Amino acid sequence: MIRANGLSVTYGAVQALRDVTFTAETGAITAVLGANGAGKTTLLRAISGLVAPRSGTVSLDETTLTGERPEDIVRRGVGHVPEGRGVIAEFTVEENLRLGAMISPMPLRDGLNQQYEWFPVLGERRKQAAATLSGGERQMLAMARALIAKPTVLLLDEPSLGLAPLVTAQLMHTVSELCATTGLTVILVEQNAKSALRIARRAVVLYLGRVVADDDAAAVAQDDQLRQYYLGMVK
Amino acid sequence: MGARWNQRVVAGTAVGAAAVLASWLGVGTARAATALSIAAVVLVAALALISSSEFRRDHPVVARAAISVAAVDVSLVVTGFFSSTVDSNLAIGAAMSIVLLGLSFLTGSSGQISIGNGAFMGVGAFTVAIWANHHATTPIAVVLLLAVVAGALVGLLLGLPATRLRGPYLAGMTLAFAVAFGAVLNLFSTWTGGDSGLQLPYAVNAPAWLVHFFQPGTSSLTTNSVWLVDVTIVTAGIALFFMANLFASRTGRAMRLVRDNDVAAELVGISLPRARVIAFTVSAAYAALGGGLWTIINNAVTPATYGFALSITILSLVVIGGIGTIPGALIGGLIYAFAASVIAWFTAHTGLNPQGNVASQLNGIIFGGLLVLTILFAPTGIAGFVRRRWAAWRSR
Amino acid sequence: MGSFLTSRNVADVLGGLTNGVIYSLVALSLVLVWRSTRILNFAQGAMAMIAAYIGFAVLAPTTNYWVSMAVAIIAGLVLGGLTERVIVRGLYGKPEINPVVAMVGFLLVLESVAAAIWSTTSRGLPTPFSIVDWQINHKPVALSPFALYEIVTAVVVMTVIALLFQFTKLGLKLRAAALAPEVSRLLGVRVGRMLTLGWMLSSGVGAVTAVLVASNYFTGLTPTTMDGVFAFGFIAAAIGGLDSPVGALVSGVSLGIILQFVGDYLNSNDIILVALGMLIVSLMVRPNGVFTRSAQRRV
Repeated sequence: MIRANGLSVTYGAVQALRDVTFTAETGAITAVLGANGAGKTTLLRAISGLVAPRSGTVSLDETTLTGERPEDIVRRGVGHVPEGRGVIAEFTVEENLRLGAMISPMPLRDGLNQQYEWFPVLGERRKQAAATLSGGERQMLAMARALIAKPTVLLLDEPSLGLAPLVTAQLMHTVSELCATTGLTVILVEQNAKSALRIARRAVVLYLGRVVADDDAAAVAQDDQLRQYYLGMVK
Repeated sequence: MGARWNQRVVAGTAVGAAAVLASWLGVGTARAATALSIAAVVLVAALALISSSEFRRDHPVVARAAISVAAVDVSLVVTGFFSSTVDSNLAIGAAMSIVLLGLSFLTGSSGQISIGNGAFMGVGAFTVAIWANHHATTPIAVVLLLAVVAGALVGLLLGLPATRLRGPYLAGMTLAFAVAFGAVLNLFSTWTGGDSGLQLPYAVNAPAWLVHFFQPGTSSLTTNSVWLVDVTIVTAGIALFFMANLFASRTGRAMRLVRDNDVAAELVGISLPRARVIAFTVSAAYAALGGGLWTIINNAVTPATYGFALSITILSLVVIGGIGTIPGALIGGLIYAFAASVIAWFTAHTGLNPQGNVASQLNGIIFGGLLVLTILFAPTGIAGFVRRRWAAWRSR
Repeated sequence: MGSFLTSRNVADVLGGLTNGVIYSLVALSLVLVWRSTRILNFAQGAMAMIAAYIGFAVLAPTTNYWVSMAVAIIAGLVLGGLTERVIVRGLYGKPEINPVVAMVGFLLVLESVAAAIWSTTSRGLPTPFSIVDWQINHKPVALSPFALYEIVTAVVVMTVIALLFQFTKLGLKLRAAALAPEVSRLLGVRVGRMLTLGWMLSSGVGAVTAVLVASNYFTGLTPTTMDGVFAFGFIAAAIGGLDSPVGALVSGVSLGIILQFVGDYLNSNDIILVALGMLIVSLMVRPNGVFTRSAQRRV
């Protein structure tokens, strides 16, 4: 279980997060939704330690993460797949994975095999430079690179960005399966609210850095007002 | 022009009149007192113009000219009271401040830096010496202009890649130029005189009418250093005037916007390819002017003066003074004028062996150390520090 | 065959190769810190010079060359690490000219301090191998045992660095920290430590270079020994592309050979001028270096 309590983040004069409180339940997907600039990415960056909150805390189960450095937070089991995937294009697929496996308790070979099992296409392209991968493949690589470290929490920042609907659907399916089979806790930041709500148990809606809704995903999906005003969904 | 304007005129006139009176009472000869009176009147007039904010707004160019005139006026009068040693130091420093103005503009307007301005100084210094050796009758002002043109041309040549280069690459290129400059001089050794350099065929002396005015019956001024420092100061004043206008141009304004916005962004400039080349050329031309003046002041030029070390010194001075600002360049020039004396004084009072290794390296250790500390802890230099203190004090 | 090996052109190639590997090492040293910290280390030569002095001046009673070399390398590693921690760390994220200025200031401090401690008088260093050229049929080949040792050392250093970066866990982390610092942190790489390590490696390479230079050149070791070498090394790195270790090696050796021909067929004064000309032309044609793909450039 990961919990944000009264989290506020400012960049200069801009307040990106205001008093954000929510809980992501263990073994479930929590979707964080909202328009551009709502503070979704900032929320993930605050959790993984890339930005220091002005006030408030983040805790994982009983331990407080706030104040720790990102390289230590990831060692506590919080994996973060950043905005734009963060695949190192100059590295081969396998080098990317090896980098992610540095802090894994598992032997490297087993870790790699496990990821190639989850994402067979990565196994096929293990010697290729990551620059040659398609958008969907890159997203898989970024996820595999985070998963190979055996995290208990996975932060996903807009995995569907720039992907074809079919690829997106496939990706979401993989995420939900991962969650179900491994007991992984997922915080899924998405602008594509529809596909995120389909697999999430709970949903948090951010608007201008504030939590405007925190409810079951199904309830959020039903709420016409929310959908119209904050999520920009027409239907 | 309201009541305050009139008050200023009255107050200024009163001060001016007092100065004139004092000069008549305190100075030996009537002619020296006449000169002082003229200086006082010019100063009061210039200050009167500058002090009006409406005037500064409506006639910015004239106001800048008035500022330059006032600064030159005061400096000229002051040099008359110093020893010839101090005057020589001031002349060297004033020439250096011209070089620093150029480098300050380069950095301030384009965010670029040059580590080769010592070599551009050398271009000017040798241009003056070579030309004077071949055409001894050319007026000195014209020779100096030729030095400026030569500096600008070499600067343009080296600055062309600057349109496409990122800062460190350009800095590295200017460094390579500074290191290669000795070889360039050697290449033309029949003109440049090889390792021993060149002597000027004549000493630059005060014109006869001026000598006659101050010291009737003598053929030259008793101390030529006064004349040399005055020539340098007037040249620096003109350079200052042009630079002030450049700083105030569109490029200069954009640059200041960025600079005043944030301490960290202080050194970031705007990035227009054309502006970059112009800035680089201007900075080279200013360096050449400073170098040309050095040849006149020293009556000679040697290649060793314009080595890599000078380029580093120039960089130190402009950063410590306050890079990207006019006051910073002037402060840097002043520091340069008196650094050697201060360090000699320091050596004498700490009991260091003046001929020892440590004493001979103090200059480098202090300047290098200050350079690192300044850029780490006060990247805006003395000028920026004072400006911030002043702003804080005023807003209290 | 014998006359071919002692011919003028072969002599130029061999002589150029010996100088060129030195330029390559300087260029490599510059590339190592440029890639990871986006800083062009103008104090590279001066730092290397200090390391060489510590190796040979501090240990004057020890006349063993190899002990001194080892001490110089350790001094280089330590100096590199300290420089990163004390000076460079405060320059990350600042306008790009700030590091330039700081490193030039550091260069001045190091050279002045070295002159204050060890004076500007040149000191000759011991050489482990003869500097007299080999002979074929009583004609000298432009290669001495020492020159060969220089070339071999350079190749060894480059190979060690390449193996470290390409095939070790540490190398993977070093490369990742340089290419994508933020992502690396998210994967648990201690990026700050990697940057320090990068500076240490670079400075260690520099120390080897300075010892080679000071024991080979007739100038010996002075506080400014490395100024000229640094200029050529920078030119090599800039032509090859500051991002490319391979470019550094290739252009360093090429530069060395070309300049040897220039010095032989024109005159020695023209060497630096030709180098400067090559730099200007290459920067105008390929501002980011011959060996850098422009898409590879990151800010």
